[in-house]
Amino acid sequence: MDAFYASVEQLDNPELKGKAIAVGGSSQRGVVAAASYEARKYGVQSAMSSVMAKRNCPHLIFVKPRFERYREISQRIREIFLEYTDLVEPLSLDEAYLDVTENKKGNPSATLIAREIREKIKERTGLNASAGISINKFIAKVASDFNKPNGQKTVNPEEVEEFLEVLDIRKFHGVGKVTAEKMYLLGIFTGKDLKTKSLDYLTEKFGKSGAHYYNVVRGIHLSEVKPNRIRKSLGAERTFNENISSEIFMLERLENIAEEIERRLTKSKVAGKTVTLKIKYSDFSMQTRSKTISYYISGKELILEIAKDLLYQEKMKNSVRLLGISLSNLNTDKDKITSEEKKEVEVQLKFEF
Amino acid sequence: MKFIVSSSYLLKQLQILGGVINNNNTLPILDNFLFDLKQDELTVSASDLETTMSAKLKVDSDSEGKIAVPAKLLLDTLKTFPEQPLTFVAEDNNTIELSSNHGKYALAYAQGEEFPNPVELEDPSSTRLEGDILATAIGKTIFASGNDDLRPVMSGVFFQFSSEGLTFVATDAHKLVKYSREDVTANQSAEFIMPKKPLTLLKGILAGSESEVLIEYNDSNAKFTFDDTELVCRLIDGKYPNYEAVIPKENPNKLTIERNQFLSSVRRVSIFSNKTTHQVRLKIAGAELNISAEDVDYSNKAEERLTCSYQGDDMQIGFNSRFLTEMLNNLTSDEVQLEMSLPNRAGILTPVDGLDPGEKIIMLVMPVMLNN
Repeated sequence: MDAFYASVEQLDNPELKGKAIAVGGSSQRGVVAAASYEARKYGVQSAMSSVMAKRNCPHLIFVKPRFERYREISQRIREIFLEYTDLVEPLSLDEAYLDVTENKKGNPSATLIAREIREKIKERTGLNASAGISINKFIAKVASDFNKPNGQKTVNPEEVEEFLEVLDIRKFHGVGKVTAEKMYLLGIFTGKDLKTKSLDYLTEKFGKSGAHYYNVVRGIHLSEVKPNRIRKSLGAERTFNENISSEIFMLERLENIAEEIERRLTKSKVAGKTVTLKIKYSDFSMQTRSKTISYYISGKELILEIAKDLLYQEKMKNSVRLLGISLSNLNTDKDKITSEEKKEVEVQLKFEF
Repeated sequence: MKFIVSSSYLLKQLQILGGVINNNNTLPILDNFLFDLKQDELTVSASDLETTMSAKLKVDSDSEGKIAVPAKLLLDTLKTFPEQPLTFVAEDNNTIELSSNHGKYALAYAQGEEFPNPVELEDPSSTRLEGDILATAIGKTIFASGNDDLRPVMSGVFFQFSSEGLTFVATDAHKLVKYSREDVTANQSAEFIMPKKPLTLLKGILAGSESEVLIEYNDSNAKFTFDDTELVCRLIDGKYPNYEAVIPKENPNKLTIERNQFLSSVRRVSIFSNKTTHQVRLKIAGAELNISAEDVDYSNKAEERLTCSYQGDDMQIGFNSRFLTEMLNNLTSDEVQLEMSLPNRAGILTPVDGLDPGEKIIMLVMPVMLNN
């Protein structure tokens, strides 16, 4: 979906149409969750602090997010997808992978299906969507950004190589700012540059992701469209009204966050083994600390215990604007829990001598 | 060498000493008792090289000599006699002749000199305490010691002597018992780890005994002397884990309950528990303790409710029922207290009543994590 949250707001409130709007908090500490295309022209981007957004675009209108509404529309869009195939893998509220190799309409052309779906979305919700069509998830995702907004791009099998070769390295899904810089330093600017590097070289420089890059630039991405995406982690975080510099106050906040996580864990009936503490400092730099234990936990006391350990593990570099806790290594990972591991779920604890 | 001794008196002593002898010795001489006769005093010794125990017996004799007599043969024979005087005569052909009211028996003996000499303790420190106290200390702790060859220090009982009291600790990393006596003290501080085997022997001999036991020890050996008996053993080498560090200090949740009732419930419910973890689940809310167990593989489950007195937040915690029963069994009090903090922290079990003045027992057990 194009500028999803912002488009929904413009749809629901015609006065906002054609105006530069940002969904998010307008306060000193707010962050832009989504910006309309009108605002993007002024350099307003999502995840940008509201203050900076306002500086870039003084006439920017801030709208409070209404996630309930977005979820509702997302559901309507998903229904459209399901008319075509059951193999729908949602990535977020406004993005999903569809495997239409075999589809309910018996339409052999994915390009035509994409057009149909986009038309239906426009018809039923009034919103614009973009699509990428290709041989695997990776290329489809990259292609979907190609003709945004309100467009679509098909990369046919014979075009895959060329498409990837000319592609800016930053456009590779999974390559963010940091990796991109690292790639630049290694003289990798496009897919073509990336292709010249050997598997060993990439693995050495980028670890496990190296192999991923090696494959995707050759058009190999074997990940299937998984209709029931398994939850891999569950977390909650809080941005504070004021930066906090004392651990004592942080503890209080962590307690609230742990409570929230417990609530969510109970709701989705999962437990996890890895607790990660996320710290965002007042200078927006981020740090994560995590600890894995041998048994699954879901209670707030235990989560808080570990989060506390992580908090005190090292001194804070700066005052803190956001704290978050997430639990991963969840017991939802069915492949991992073999019958042997299942037995281990009840773990006899030992003294730590 | 010739002596006359009462059959049952000899049997009783030899049976105690026989506990030292291993079933399969690499050194054949260790299958023997050493008889060391000096007039009317017969010293009998048994050894497995690590532990040597000897007892002095009063016999009727005016000769001297030192021979090694096959232990099993002798014990088997003695067991069959009703009480009567027995005469032992060492013959020149390396046999000892035993005469009873019923007849004569000849046992081949080995030279006494072949028998290993017990270690002499150099420069030992010493402490004295009553036999029964030592036996109790051993009995309270030894069951909690481990069997892990990789952590030999935990396969024994840790003795900690100081001018403030004596402390005995055993743990297998899952459960831990600390037994202390403040009414008995040592002049010097000392710490050593006693292996299980000699302790089991001592416990058997000393239970209920009012005799004074002299404990002498240095870095490598310990010697226990009481009545006419002496036991010398090698200590376990190594550093005992810092057990104090694992005893949780803050335990806001306190449960007090009648011991026997708790024990029988845990026993009953545990029959339904998982066969590998033996986990029972304690759920405490208000004044109600709910004990439950479930074996998902077989769809067996059990649940019991007990009233208890409880202070603290409602909580749920899982324990290995074997550990719980062992510990509850080992206590003798009418009521016990179980202190807890979090479901992943050790539970602390202590007796509420029935302790001697100066006596203190604390038992720790690590939980089995509940899989909610």
